[in-house]
Amino acid sequence: MARNATAEEALPRELAEARFSRLYRDHEHEILRYALRRSAEPQDAADVVAETFLVAWRRLGEVPLDEEARLWLYATARRVLANHQRGIKRRTRLAERLRDELQRQLPLQPASDRPVLDALARMADADRELLMLVGMEELSPSEAARVLGISTVAARTRLHRARRRLRARLAEQSEGKPGNEIELGEVR
Amino acid sequence: MRTRDIDRKLRDADRFSAREMERLELGPATAALAEAIVAEPAAAAATEAAAPPWPTAERRRRGLLGVAGFAAAAVVAAIVLLVGGGSSQSPSHAYGAELVRFAESTPLLLLEGPGWRVQNVTQYKNREGLEGSMEFVTGKPIPYETVRISGSPTKPRQSGMFPPAVRQRRVELSWSHRSLAGEISMVREMAHPHGRRTIELPVLDTTATVDTRAEFYVNQGGPGNRQMVALWSEDGYTLRMNAAVPDLSAFEERLDWLTKVDPQTWLDAMPEKVVKAADHGATVREMLEGIPVPATFEPSRVPNEGLTTDRYQVGAAVTGTVSCLWLHQWGQARRTGARAAALEAEQAMATSKRWPILREMATDGAYPETVWELATDMRRGYWEWAGRKHPVLPRAEGLGCARLGIPVLLK
Repeated sequence: MARNATAEEALPRELAEARFSRLYRDHEHEILRYALRRSAEPQDAADVVAETFLVAWRRLGEVPLDEEARLWLYATARRVLANHQRGIKRRTRLAERLRDELQRQLPLQPASDRPVLDALARMADADRELLMLVGMEELSPSEAARVLGISTVAARTRLHRARRRLRARLAEQSEGKPGNEIELGEVR
Repeated sequence: MRTRDIDRKLRDADRFSAREMERLELGPATAALAEAIVAEPAAAAATEAAAPPWPTAERRRRGLLGVAGFAAAAVVAAIVLLVGGGSSQSPSHAYGAELVRFAESTPLLLLEGPGWRVQNVTQYKNREGLEGSMEFVTGKPIPYETVRISGSPTKPRQSGMFPPAVRQRRVELSWSHRSLAGEISMVREMAHPHGRRTIELPVLDTTATVDTRAEFYVNQGGPGNRQMVALWSEDGYTLRMNAAVPDLSAFEERLDWLTKVDPQTWLDAMPEKVVKAADHGATVREMLEGIPVPATFEPSRVPNEGLTTDRYQVGAAVTGTVSCLWLHQWGQARRTGARAAALEAEQAMATSKRWPILREMATDGAYPETVWELATDMRRGYWEWAGRKHPVLPRAEGLGCARLGIPVLLK
């Protein structure tokens, strides 16, 4: 992985803008989709995207230059999202237009019209995040481990167990059994 | 429901797939966001939610090798690290082109089971082309298993096999360009002391032929302790997965864990004892220390196929070349009555118990044992099997002398 400057080493403005513009262009859709999948309302996702890229802009020297940039952005978006979920929800003026567009183009959907999403919603946060990173963001277990800041071996172990739990939930659903309890998941 | 079915269900349930998002018209809004962001001051705020300190590839690899190093320490000392293969200057690859080529010359498969890791990987060339194998383990490192055979040649019995709890922590995956039909036929013709039962199971995107009773010996295996082999074709390779398992569902689970990965992920999973092709010469010189060599020996006689391989394989090539040259001298001397030359070879080979590289390799495979047994046979002038004495030199071919270009038998 290559890295040209630390946060303390300010980049020339033109270079910084060029680099940010490339980063944004390459990953805006991935980060928006990541945020939409995890936000209760589409306009929340606009704020998560705006904050994530604002962090990237301010810390451009810390953002990896290679394919790791995507993982760095996911890890940052995850933290932004965690703040939102803890109630530190910011309505940034930066995201006004994107927020409006998402609200207009993506009307609020029913909680879930898909059994897999129902089952996923009832899983422990850690299980759900890992399953989504691999199943929806299509990361490998080792990439997901990088995003979550855990070892690859731990990610594989947790993923295996999470898939087993999801499989069991889906089987319960297909048999019509109730399954509303929240699982605690792995704590490591 | 298999792993990939779960992932597929998740993908299918995704309301925000790339295709769904293409329907939206967000271009002007996202462009406005980018413009608004770069208009902001570029100084970091103390409270913002950045990713935690991001490890560099170098640090990450060292961490990985730390874990692998623990595993490898019990098996074999390591000198060559993958670290040298990585290029911190390259913006697109964390590993050097040579290592990426090495990765790409394999089927790029990993066993993504919970807690499983790569213990060993090696490549070799033969008439059919490039072949290779990988060993995956979970839990403590598993040393090479030395199985001893006794009983009659028609009804051999094994001893020394690891207990099922150990053997079931290991999976071997090998690949070749041999014909799948030939491999299946060979597996069918093997001894099946517990009866033969072959079935078909899905693996990756194809179907494997699975021998569910692949035990070789009458006193091996049984309920709760099965040996199974899967054979299939993929990407031009004939693949073989071999595992001891408690039952068929455990084998199915292991097949399900096989995952195709990219070269970066594959190299990330490698243990540290992989010897890079570029370091072959230095590794050979280091391994020759403490080994008496015959006058006919030159380091260039140690074959270098330009492969990145396991340190054990390089050790076998070094000690095999030296041993085969001594055996060649010994055979010639015995045929011509040159007693001094024969004695010199016997005495040199008698020191093999102290050759550092063989001692290092001893926990990782049976090659050192073969060299040591031959050294004993040379002094006795014969080797014994089933109560009968046999000539030494045909057995010496077990070291691969002909393959090393040093045939010890007269044609």
